[in-house]
Amino acid sequence: MSNVIECNDLTHYYGKKMVFENLNFQVRDGSILGLLGKNGAGKTTTINILNGFLHPRSGECLIYGENSQHLTPATKARIGFLIEGHIQYAFMNIHQVEKFYSGFYSNWKPAPFWDLMAKLKVTPTQKISTMSCGQRSQVALGLILAQNADLLILDDFSMGLDPGYRRLFIDYLREYAKSENKTIFTTSHIIQDMERLIDDVLIMDYNRVLAQCPINEFMTGFKRFDFELENDEVNLKNEKFVANLEMVKNKVELYSYETKEFVQQFLDNHGVAYKGFKQVKMELEDAFIGLTGKY
Amino acid sequence: MWKSIIYKEWLKIRFFLIGFTILGMMGIAYLFLKVQHEFTFSGGGNFWYNILFMGMQFFGYFKFIPLSGGLLIAVVQYFPETIDQRIKLTFHLPLKENNVLLMMHSFGAGCLLLSYLLLMVVFISLSAIYFPSEMVYDSIVSVIPWFMAGFVAYFFVALIVMEPSWLYRIMYSLVGGFFVTIYVKSPVIAAYGPAIPGLSLLTILMSVALLFSAYRFRKGEM
Amino acid sequence: MEKLSRIILVLVAILVLAMTLPMLYWMAFEQPVSKPFVLYSCLDDDFFIMRQGKPNTFEDTRGNKYTREKYEQKLPMMNFQQLMISGLMPDTIRGKAMDMHEIGLNRSFARFKPEDMNGPKPALFPLFESQSGRANIGMPDDFFRITWRVEFLDAATNKIREEKSQLFSAALYHNGFAFPATRIEGLPTTRKSCDEGYLIVDSSNQLFHLKMVKDKPYVRKISLPEGLRFKHIQCVDFKDKKYYAYLFSEKNEIFILTQDEYELVKLPITAFNAESCDLKIYGDLFNYNVTIDHEDHTDVVILDKDYKRVKSYQEGWPLISEHTEGKIFGYIFPAQLSLEDPNSKYINFYWKGSGGIGWVLLNLILVGVHLVILRRRNASLQGHAVDLAFVAVTGIYGFIAINLFQNKFFD
Repeated sequence: MSNVIECNDLTHYYGKKMVFENLNFQVRDGSILGLLGKNGAGKTTTINILNGFLHPRSGECLIYGENSQHLTPATKARIGFLIEGHIQYAFMNIHQVEKFYSGFYSNWKPAPFWDLMAKLKVTPTQKISTMSCGQRSQVALGLILAQNADLLILDDFSMGLDPGYRRLFIDYLREYAKSENKTIFTTSHIIQDMERLIDDVLIMDYNRVLAQCPINEFMTGFKRFDFELENDEVNLKNEKFVANLEMVKNKVELYSYETKEFVQQFLDNHGVAYKGFKQVKMELEDAFIGLTGKY
Repeated sequence: MWKSIIYKEWLKIRFFLIGFTILGMMGIAYLFLKVQHEFTFSGGGNFWYNILFMGMQFFGYFKFIPLSGGLLIAVVQYFPETIDQRIKLTFHLPLKENNVLLMMHSFGAGCLLLSYLLLMVVFISLSAIYFPSEMVYDSIVSVIPWFMAGFVAYFFVALIVMEPSWLYRIMYSLVGGFFVTIYVKSPVIAAYGPAIPGLSLLTILMSVALLFSAYRFRKGEM
Repeated sequence: MEKLSRIILVLVAILVLAMTLPMLYWMAFEQPVSKPFVLYSCLDDDFFIMRQGKPNTFEDTRGNKYTREKYEQKLPMMNFQQLMISGLMPDTIRGKAMDMHEIGLNRSFARFKPEDMNGPKPALFPLFESQSGRANIGMPDDFFRITWRVEFLDAATNKIREEKSQLFSAALYHNGFAFPATRIEGLPTTRKSCDEGYLIVDSSNQLFHLKMVKDKPYVRKISLPEGLRFKHIQCVDFKDKKYYAYLFSEKNEIFILTQDEYELVKLPITAFNAESCDLKIYGDLFNYNVTIDHEDHTDVVILDKDYKRVKSYQEGWPLISEHTEGKIFGYIFPAQLSLEDPNSKYINFYWKGSGGIGWVLLNLILVGVHLVILRRRNASLQGHAVDLAFVAVTGIYGFIAINLFQNKFFD
């Protein structure tokens, strides 16, 4: 399976502040990749480089084999781009905006756009600027769907959405992408519901990649173990198998890619006394927090 | 595709362009209402004499009308593009970035030109009622730099609005602010004659200045 | 394309800087140049010079100092009203009894500046009635132009007065006028003692006098020496009615055109250039005092009443570029740009060199500084060749401009 996006050795700084160094990742054709990270982890920077709105200090991003700094119009036509905050030409109404975009794309399919618009309670002459956040998100999504792009780049699409709209957005998108074999690259800092959407996950923290793998692998491989230490001065934080560790008094939340057996074995072997050891089932959000820490 | 770009630009500027043109025409109409009044009360001979030999510019207050038009159109055309960095949408369209900008710019400047031409036609037609061709010609030579100032203002405001860095915006404003004044000095009538070719050239050159700040935007300058 | 747009911005910034920086510099540092005011005394046959300062000083050509009162007494023609009041006016000068009326009649003053010539000219003129029989001259309600014929336009209707136009066209035509006119000069004002119409040059460089006498055209063709062309004609209205105008030829000769005889008299003045000199001519009972101000010196020529040269005086002063502030200017700025010129009413791009080549040094230093900046940035010289050329040629202007709008392009 070929890669739609390939970012190689991407390095960027804002002035002297490093955003990331030697970032590498790929997005497979037909897959949905979620780039997750806390605010300021470099998600928008990555998106800006991908769209040619930022020149990285070094490294390059290739989209369909073209450097993202010089995308040809033909390649740009294959990319649907949702700007953070569902930005659209707010001075237009939905008819105007549809008319505007339809002129650019040869395989423009208005049906999905109007399907979505039919669900909105907006008047035909209502400007986008007067719509609610949720309504605007549907307009922006509808336009990308109608563009019938091969690659969808969605920058923090969940921002400002009600849970209902978010769920609607995600379900619609997943259904669409899978039936039409579209590739999606999306970022989000709201992790809820993302499990329903993405195939692969890329988790970034300040200056580094914490995880990059299929979501199922991540969800089954990454585990949480809770137990109580007899002696709360034992420090497990620096052990290799520990991905993250949260400790309140002697109550431990230990995150690891290793199995339950491995962890228990380790504790026993090292003479660490504990009780109440149990593996806790996690949602993606829990796993995300487990991996990136609460702070 | 070009039709779509024009459509978008038109949506942004239409009411302002039409409004400006109507206000401009009303301004000109008022100008000639005053001329007519003066003719009635002081006589045409006196009025002509004051224009020919006393340096009176009966259209003097018209000076800043084209300028304000240029400012207005630039603001309403480019400001919406920069709110929430909407210009990203434009750059993402399947066209070359500079071509899109030049198209937007040409359309805006073209609309401005059309509006200016309409104002000129009204101005010249009304002038021709009251004044002989020589005086009309001298008036045209006098007002042409003012119209050019309108274009320069349009080009500079676009440049400033698109610029991502505040420091550069201030620089552009300083340079642009002074540059505009060379078009609106207050000399004797028709004094701009020899400078018009040079000023026209500078005006035309300024039309592509916008690409610089847009490039800086695209490369993530801050 | 982006690079071109930046070069344009840099160019515009250079233009703006070349206008503003010198302007600010002069505003801050320029010292006034005091030009001597030179007059001729018919009593002493010598020049008396007033120098502006605090206070003004008065001296003759041998350096003797005078009080203001003494100075005024030496120049009785210029100061006769003051001298009359003070009772210091001599009864006779050069054997001639002093008569207030006669002195007043012979007094005249004409002034010319290059901008009188270099500027937009009106194309329509009012033709006054020369013999209306009224004390005051009345403003006509029509204006004439001379294109393929003479046309009088009624200002109230903006229409041609056909009958009058034909009458005047015919009169000019019958006097051999070659239409259209290339120059129409007169005194288009009602504030003059009487009207003498217009002096008109036709397209064959012939000179005509046109006025309106009792609604009829008066046309006189004035014979000119072969090949004489005028660059400016300044009509005058003096009480002595000796001549109509000063006429400046293409070769910078000054003529007067005598009244009634239409005789063209060439004044014995050589140091004049209408493009750059201010000219002042004071006439009095005995002499004409002709002052020609050049940029760095003044020429004063005294003529008698037959326009013969009596005496002359010259005095120079340092050019602004020779002052300290001018010299420093020359080391900083290669040139200055202005849209206005003291010798013209036209707006144009007036470049003026700063005098000398001291600025070359600064230009080279700035090129060096920029090379250091580029090396620190590890920038390629090739990509900055245009910038360096800007600095080399325009010096401080280019240096500021390229650093204002930095040459920062990727790839």
